[in-house]
Amino acid sequence: MKAIETHDLFKRFENVEAVKGINLEIEEGELFGLLGPNGAGKTTTISMLCTIVRPTSGSASIYGHDVKKEPGTVRGLIGIVFQDPSLDDNLTGRENLDFHGRLYKVPRSEIAGRIKDVLELVELSDKADVIVKKYSGGMKRRLEIARGLLHHPKVLFLDEPTLGLDPQTRRHIWEYIERLNKEKQITMILTTHYMDEADQLCDRIAIVDHGKIVAMDTPDNLKHDVGGDVVIMTVPNGGEQLKVKLEQLEFVKSTQLVDGALRLSVDKGETAIPIFMDVARQEGIAVPSISLHEPTLEDIFIKYTGREIRTQEAADGFANMHARGRR
Amino acid sequence: MDHDALFDVWHLFIRAGKKTIRTPVIIFGTLALPVLFLVLFTQIFTQFGNLPGFPAGGYVQFATAGIIVLNPLINAQYSGTAVVDDINSGFLSKMLVTPVNRPAILFGRLLNDTIMVLIPAGITLALAYALGVTVITGALGILLILFTAAFFGLSMSGLTMAIGVTTKSAQVVAGLDLVIIFPLMFVSTALVPYEFLPHWAQAFSNVNPFSYAVNAVRALMSTGFDWSTILAAYAVIAVFAAVTIGATLYQFRSVEK
Repeated sequence: MKAIETHDLFKRFENVEAVKGINLEIEEGELFGLLGPNGAGKTTTISMLCTIVRPTSGSASIYGHDVKKEPGTVRGLIGIVFQDPSLDDNLTGRENLDFHGRLYKVPRSEIAGRIKDVLELVELSDKADVIVKKYSGGMKRRLEIARGLLHHPKVLFLDEPTLGLDPQTRRHIWEYIERLNKEKQITMILTTHYMDEADQLCDRIAIVDHGKIVAMDTPDNLKHDVGGDVVIMTVPNGGEQLKVKLEQLEFVKSTQLVDGALRLSVDKGETAIPIFMDVARQEGIAVPSISLHEPTLEDIFIKYTGREIRTQEAADGFANMHARGRR
Repeated sequence: MDHDALFDVWHLFIRAGKKTIRTPVIIFGTLALPVLFLVLFTQIFTQFGNLPGFPAGGYVQFATAGIIVLNPLINAQYSGTAVVDDINSGFLSKMLVTPVNRPAILFGRLLNDTIMVLIPAGITLALAYALGVTVITGALGILLILFTAAFFGLSMSGLTMAIGVTTKSAQVVAGLDLVIIFPLMFVSTALVPYEFLPHWAQAFSNVNPFSYAVNAVRALMSTGFDWSTILAAYAVIAVFAAVTIGATLYQFRSVEK
């Protein structure tokens, strides 16, 4: 049986179509990533799988239990780590976990032991009796993860698990996620708009854009798709003209013009660059800078969506931090 | 509600209680307000008691009944702001993905808020007793007075919660609460006898659930077991509570899109 299965999952909010037909099959123990910019429909998709948003049409099931028909059973099978921590600031870490365990009907005799285990796992044992208000952002996220695990869910949803955290804390959280997935065989679905996060953690990735999956495969296969090297040339003027010329070269696998930058996939970047520069000079087109890198998920995202994820992320990230600060 | 749902109510109540205890402002307000009201109102309006046609027993005896029900009227906004807080902090969404019984989320909160109404009501009674106020109906009357305050508080909490769940804004809850509280409070029999009110105010008082609650408490304090007044109050409060708590539960459902 599949851990998660969706069929033409569709969600319309008033007049916005947030999710437009998502089909997923996720195996038990898989660490699956939904990658896409904010507003792509990742959170809505997860919310439907978690039974808090009702699909407009289509179906979704967790271990064969339909989210619409058996929401109660589904809720017992899943754990969720939200984008925004939803802990009680006025309670201690232990009290937060205890409350959670009771709501999930964790047997009374097991609660204390399980709390001890999950606190050890996220290295918060020494802060267990401190009020959450005094936790740092990273500690809160770790406690949130601990809470998501307390009732031994079969599927754990992580919605932007490292959003707004510093690089060191992010790496720390990645380690927990990987360990949990490997050691406890918990199926995990995470949403992220961090390319490196998806690359590092996920067995398989679905790139989501405008409510649809535009590509789905392992990170390596997706990168293989783009080719050996990615060359990026800044072309303030005449980008289109240069693109047409370079496309005619035999070793150029694909070209794309995004925000004044010409992106080319080639097998060997080192040998391609001098040729590209020669063509540009012949055409009289100025190229202020040129760079070369191995393909990343970022390139894959751009290939499938024609947009960079970073520009959007930076703006959204700022807005998010801002919103957080106001609370 | 089944057995599990009652446990859910209990655990949600414990959580709400811990949060309340750890918010000193709420504790201070709850403890200080009855003292403040009793001292202020009875000092400022004490000459009212000497006016011709004023009920026997003096102003303090008269106003204590109003103040006992005034506390739940004012404290009710904590229910609404707490719900807003739970929505904006993500707590409510978190609850909705757990197997917890849905209405239990509401009733756990209300259980906490009921206790937060009983405490000031008890303080008011004790303080009023020290000022020479008597409860003619004795121990059973006192229990019924506390019940009336709690029951009225429940209906008012329902109102602020319905506003909170609908608007998701603590400012709106606090602002609307004031707009609602003042007419309910002043155009009522809480601080002035019914006969002293102008006609339009009497008409409003006749449909003001707050007046009904005050009249029931006042009867229990000064007149006796006047069942027609008491049961009329319970009927009005029951309808008010059914509407406000019903609206909150209904809005709760729509939180699940």
